[in-house]
Amino acid sequence: MTNAIEIRGLVKKYPRFQLGPLDLTVPQGAIYGLIGPNGAGKTTAIDLIFGMGRNDAGQIRVLDLDHRADEVALKRRAAYVSPDLNFQVWGKVGKAIRFVRGFYPEWDEAYCAALMKAFHLSDTDKIVTLSFGAKTKLSLLLALSRRPEVLILDEPTTGLDAVSKQQVFGELLKAVEDGEHTVLISSHGLSDIERFADHIGMIKDGKLLLEGRTDKVVDRYRFVEFFSSNGTTFQNREGLAILRRTENRWHALLDQESDALNWLETRGAEQISLTRLTLEDLFVALVKEEEAA
Amino acid sequence: MTNEPKSWLIGPISPAAGGTLYQQIVDRLKREISEGRLEPGAALPSFRHLAEDLLVSVITVKRAYEELEREGIIFRRQGLGTFVAEQGHDRSRETKLVAARDLLRAGFREAAEAGLKPAQILELAREILREKE
Repeated sequence: MTNAIEIRGLVKKYPRFQLGPLDLTVPQGAIYGLIGPNGAGKTTAIDLIFGMGRNDAGQIRVLDLDHRADEVALKRRAAYVSPDLNFQVWGKVGKAIRFVRGFYPEWDEAYCAALMKAFHLSDTDKIVTLSFGAKTKLSLLLALSRRPEVLILDEPTTGLDAVSKQQVFGELLKAVEDGEHTVLISSHGLSDIERFADHIGMIKDGKLLLEGRTDKVVDRYRFVEFFSSNGTTFQNREGLAILRRTENRWHALLDQESDALNWLETRGAEQISLTRLTLEDLFVALVKEEEAA
Repeated sequence: MTNEPKSWLIGPISPAAGGTLYQQIVDRLKREISEGRLEPGAALPSFRHLAEDLLVSVITVKRAYEELEREGIIFRRQGLGTFVAEQGHDRSRETKLVAARDLLRAGFREAAEAGLKPAQILELAREILREKE
């Protein structure tokens, strides 16, 4: 399988924040969820892909195009939906659509009309009076109707109700149906990401914490509860992050690919029990662990 | 060209139901096959179509299909699609029997832990069967 997006050694320096060095790999045909706490660098990374800001080091390739040298081709074949996009200058929905579609030969008129209906938008709607959610739907519609080979969405479901959210994810699944189109989505809606994303990448403080197939990443970790006797203490180690301790009862996050479970047993941990976790559980545990360290 | 059935009502699947989403898909398809609603040779939807239908990631459906394939319940033909295997019905029943045995074992253990004697457990089982009717 080829990759739709390859980011290698990407660095962007700000006075008080540094992104990277960051590697990201988004396989073609996938819905890829980019997750991370506020201020982790998700938007910075996405903006750099589209040439907003200049990276200090590293390489970004989209559909095997260099993000700077092949900028025009890249922008024709990839689309970006950001919460900051503002279409108000066109006044009405119909005018915005007519303006945008002129740039894209692959524009799908029938699909655009179907999305208008599904999203309850109409040509004559004044953009300034649209609700926040409806504005989001408009920017999604403008991007989806282009049938871009790579669609990048920054927080596309913020402010959407549950019905609209499900609609949006339904459209994204349709968009990748042929196995050639790819979606990269950054979101704080972790249960949505767990359900809809084939791959995830988690970043924190500008660095990649983990990346891979969603099910494999989530299945790799377990909550572990155990008891210590005769005052043995346990501390963080490779593959084990202590989350909580109440007297001799311990709770921790366990990476099953490490030998931490073995280590617990040999150190005399008793009544060890493992519990599956959700992506959200994993996210919270990993972010907290970093903060405690 | 596609000979896929139009409607795929094995859903909805939900994180609130037991087991992972892919396991739920495996169980639902097994039920369709063991109860004869999907017959040997019947075409299954492509995993991308089923993902769209169930509103889950493609990977989730792919994983479910891979498991069913490993158990010999369905098979894939490159370029043609995925189909219910000749022995799919029997295999589904076999795996369902294994699952039933495990669940009964767990149920009997709970009953024993609650202090029921074997005769009382059997009486309880009969009671439950009568409920079903």
